[in-house]
Amino acid sequence: MAEALSAAALDERVLSFPERRPPAAWFAAFAFTSSAMLLGFALIGYTVYMGIGVWGNNRPVGWAFDIINFVFWIGIGHAGTLISAILLLMRAPWRNAIARFSEAMTLFAVMTAGIFPAIHVGRPWLEFWLAPYPNQRGLWPNFRSPLMWDVFAVSTYFAVSVLFWYIGLLPDLASMRGRAQTPLRRMALTVLSLGWRGTPQQWRHYEKAYILLAGLATGLVLSVHSVVSFDFATSLVPGWHMTLFPPYFVVGAIFAGFAMVVLVLSAARRLMGLEDLITMRHLELANKVILGCSCLMGYSYACEAFTAWYSMNPYIQHTFMQYVSGTYGWAGWIAITCNVLVPQLFWWRRMRTSQTAMIVVALAVTAGMWFERFVIIVISLYHDFLPSSWHVYQPTLVDFGILLGSFGFFFTLVLLFTRLLPVIATTEVKATLPGAQHEGGHHG
Amino acid sequence: MAEGRAFGVLGLFSDPALLLAAVPKLRARGLGRVQAYTPYPVHGLGEALGLRRSPLGGMVLVMGLLGTATAFLFQWWMNSVDYPLFTGGKDPSSWQAFVPIMFEVTVLFATFTAGLGMLVLLNKLPAFWHPFLDSEASRAATRDRFALAIEAEGEVFDAAAAEAALMVVGAGSIEVLPGLPPPRRVPLETLLGLAAGGAVACCLAGAAMYWGVKLFPVLPPMSHMLAQPRLDAQQRGRRAPAEGSVARGRLPYPFEKPEQARGLGNPLPRTEEVLRLGRKVFAHNCLICHGPLADGTPILTAAYGGRPANLQSRKYLGLSDGEIYHTIMKGENAMPRLGDGFTEDERWAVIHYIRALQRAQHAKDGDL
Amino acid sequence: MTLAMTALGGLAAAATFFVCGPQRFWANWLVWMLMLLSAGLGALFLTALEHLTGARWSVPLRRSAERVSGLLVPACAAAVLALFALPVLYPWAGPEAAHHPLIAAKAGWLNVPFFAARALACAALWLVSWRVFAGGSLRQDRSRDAALSERARRYAPFFMVVMGLTTLVVAFDWVSSLSPEWYSDVIGVYLFAGSFLAGLAAVTLTVGHLKERGRLTELRFDHVYSLGAWLFAFTVFWSYIAFAQYLLMWYADLPEEVFWYAQRSRGAWRGVSLALGLLHFVIPFFALLPRDAKGDLRRLRWVAALVLGAHFLDLYWLVFPVLGARPPFSWPELGFAGFFIGVSLLWMRRALRQGADMPVGDPGLAEGLAFKL
Repeated sequence: MAEALSAAALDERVLSFPERRPPAAWFAAFAFTSSAMLLGFALIGYTVYMGIGVWGNNRPVGWAFDIINFVFWIGIGHAGTLISAILLLMRAPWRNAIARFSEAMTLFAVMTAGIFPAIHVGRPWLEFWLAPYPNQRGLWPNFRSPLMWDVFAVSTYFAVSVLFWYIGLLPDLASMRGRAQTPLRRMALTVLSLGWRGTPQQWRHYEKAYILLAGLATGLVLSVHSVVSFDFATSLVPGWHMTLFPPYFVVGAIFAGFAMVVLVLSAARRLMGLEDLITMRHLELANKVILGCSCLMGYSYACEAFTAWYSMNPYIQHTFMQYVSGTYGWAGWIAITCNVLVPQLFWWRRMRTSQTAMIVVALAVTAGMWFERFVIIVISLYHDFLPSSWHVYQPTLVDFGILLGSFGFFFTLVLLFTRLLPVIATTEVKATLPGAQHEGGHHG
Repeated sequence: MAEGRAFGVLGLFSDPALLLAAVPKLRARGLGRVQAYTPYPVHGLGEALGLRRSPLGGMVLVMGLLGTATAFLFQWWMNSVDYPLFTGGKDPSSWQAFVPIMFEVTVLFATFTAGLGMLVLLNKLPAFWHPFLDSEASRAATRDRFALAIEAEGEVFDAAAAEAALMVVGAGSIEVLPGLPPPRRVPLETLLGLAAGGAVACCLAGAAMYWGVKLFPVLPPMSHMLAQPRLDAQQRGRRAPAEGSVARGRLPYPFEKPEQARGLGNPLPRTEEVLRLGRKVFAHNCLICHGPLADGTPILTAAYGGRPANLQSRKYLGLSDGEIYHTIMKGENAMPRLGDGFTEDERWAVIHYIRALQRAQHAKDGDL
Repeated sequence: MTLAMTALGGLAAAATFFVCGPQRFWANWLVWMLMLLSAGLGALFLTALEHLTGARWSVPLRRSAERVSGLLVPACAAAVLALFALPVLYPWAGPEAAHHPLIAAKAGWLNVPFFAARALACAALWLVSWRVFAGGSLRQDRSRDAALSERARRYAPFFMVVMGLTTLVVAFDWVSSLSPEWYSDVIGVYLFAGSFLAGLAAVTLTVGHLKERGRLTELRFDHVYSLGAWLFAFTVFWSYIAFAQYLLMWYADLPEEVFWYAQRSRGAWRGVSLALGLLHFVIPFFALLPRDAKGDLRRLRWVAALVLGAHFLDLYWLVFPVLGARPPFSWPELGFAGFFIGVSLLWMRRALRQGADMPVGDPGLAEGLAFKL
């Protein structure tokens, strides 16, 4: 943190964004992302109307882009929780400056992810069947189904992320209220900030709640992608039934999430002029996390490949051969290259601190992690146990359109966030500024 | 509350150290309750004001455990007791697969306790009407200044003395917070308006419900499910068991024509237990088409094309138990063959239950 | 006292070989080898983690971790001797393996020379890492050379790779291949979680011991709390990995996997499995849940002792089912416990005399002592 920065200046810098008219570039970006979003929604409407036959899914590849995108987006969300919760518990004060942005990305990613299971079931209007409501027929949902676990895990994750994010936002909203010039704005922000006053009583409960939420969110974030991995790993499909899946999915999620954080933050800090708040140090640390995760991904790949051989199970061995050869072998190599090899550049400090290098790596990781899910889902399915039921999968334009739309939706929300709410947790940053505490209670 | 009495007097500090030093001095004066408003948590302030630790941790633990128990109990009751599901060859009473949801619900309960418990229960938020919120100081005290207030505790409050005391400890921009205005009465028109609005909302909800149940399922794309080719490809209803196989507890059924089955008698006694079983089988399997009273009024709209049999009609009242048994085993018209999915006992129990429904709808004086 | 316990335990252990047969002897030996290894490796991981992340809270505790990591030396010696256990305990090393097609197919990995080479390579890597971290730190006491910290910082990422690969090898070789048909690729992570937990617990016990003797006086609530928090976190992490592996195998119900759990859930082993869940998760979890418990060294020591005991039970649960359907626990096990605990205590006693109780030469020590939550 820049030494000269004062609390007032910080407020002026960060909280004034929602009060100003966005620049033309913002409108241009917004037009672009919201068009992509609209395209996606139109195609979703088309899918719902026509049925999921308009996708490329077939038998045996019953899960394809829908589930790939779901796993991909839900994974992106994990970095936000990691930054906001786990790093808070580990007392890494550098998280403060980037926590808010990452948490917002978590929310948006989970919202994006939530679309996919909803449309993948084909008849979204019957989704209430998933809820255990008492009914005349005396039926209950199957709670032993991992897909049901998903419903609980993802909805809990979303609810908890919203709560965590909102509670973090509350004092900042109170600060925005303090700045409000018009009565209407003041009133709206009073409501949004719930009339937060910042008395020591309130802070005492608040700090306790924040730590508790962080602890709970940490456990939750481990569980969410583990539950997503259970969708696969509890089955008997070769390549899916691997005991390493839960931790491996969690690491992959954090990995992809951090890449997205680096991608968005390195653009946002430049465009919003926040280079002195979101510093190169933050990005470098995020890049170190990416490097670490990349090594863990390499470990997981190696471990899985070894186990596939070691199991001496011909089906598993066949599936793993299909990952790197056969119709979709190229996808496996993309995943390995982008996830394991390219991030190794970050062993060099120069690469970790280079704007270009980090964007290249982050893009590679984003693509690589998408392809990893493609590998896991499509390649494991297209060669079934019986060669007679093997079938090649080909996505349709609708599949691609919805994928594009999901990016549009996510970035539209990110763009809206940058102009509506404080992008930096000013309260938390203020509390750790030099001189903010009596007798230097905190070390920044 | 006395009219016109000030809520309190408030002053601003720019240095947390000065704020902390001022607190014990003001508390010693005993002019009123000392309160602070700060833009971020100032460490040591809670101790200086003599606050106790937050009880939130204990609340979260209790609610978390309650969440675990709740999740276990509802899963166990639904999937092991009330509607036992056999999946993947697992014992329906096994607990292992309940753990993920138990964990999620624990976290859900615990986080909502932590978040909403903190906001609503402990911090009494939302609170949109508070003198501090209307004060001039609230602007600075949510930015980078620290407000310290002496607030009225009893009936007597000496605002001037409080002002002086704040001045002495070095507070700036001293401000007197006016007392709360008396609560306003809610006018009658507003209440009437609300009631009328509620009535309109109820009517709209009723209309929407009717639309949802009667019309929604027949609109495209909802009706597309009738046109899908795989509906027939997958066979309507249950799959027949593999040729020549006999499932445990399900004896093969020899007859081809209902007349052959006419003479079969119901081997089960008409006990409460049997009727209970019959009701369960009926609810799970028959009710969706034949309706809860077996009168052919389904809970799903008839718009899907089928006209399910009215088991309360003269024709069905006259059928023998054996003929009903035959229909269950072989199906009739649009009704698929369902019997392979039931045990012998379940088939006969549901017939008892259908009889009970019929008798209930055609009760004689003697039944009363 | 310790010496007597070691000697007596050693006698009983040696007697086991002749009275109860080599199987039971080597099974006990293997468990205790893994016990020492995991505590040492876990403590070394804690040291390396500090260098890697630049964490400050653990600097005042680091010497204790380095001292515990010295257990790697007796552990490596025990591992080399344990190579004699291969034909006794491991079905793939016996002559009957050739008749078992599945095991024979794995001979490319599961053969004695390659196994021994891997074991020796791992031992070498650990000892080198120990020299770099612990040895370098001791030298820094005298030289106050900041370059040694820098060297440790540079080596730390490589140690992470070493740690990942060697725990994987240990898990697949020493543990999983006891049942060579069985495979589970999370077993490396499982063993790592147990190791780190054991290392943390051993460090906690050491710190508690020193604090009781009036050493490490500058250590405050904040440091102890952080240690307790890690202990708590890894109790949960271990449970997560252990349950995930169990759930997946239980759910899929594949004969080549699930027999491993079936062995451990029948008869008396069922009780051991339940005890493992209770001692390794439920009790430490609730004992460490309150904030005060994590920061109170006296309570933390009890939990740490419990965690080490539970870790022993975990290793016992991993290894002993190969001996048969009944979990043996009698004088041989007590003898081995006496011998290896005695050896560890003697080793630690020696280590506690070497160098200062804190890394006084580390430039980060002042910052570490000032650490506040």
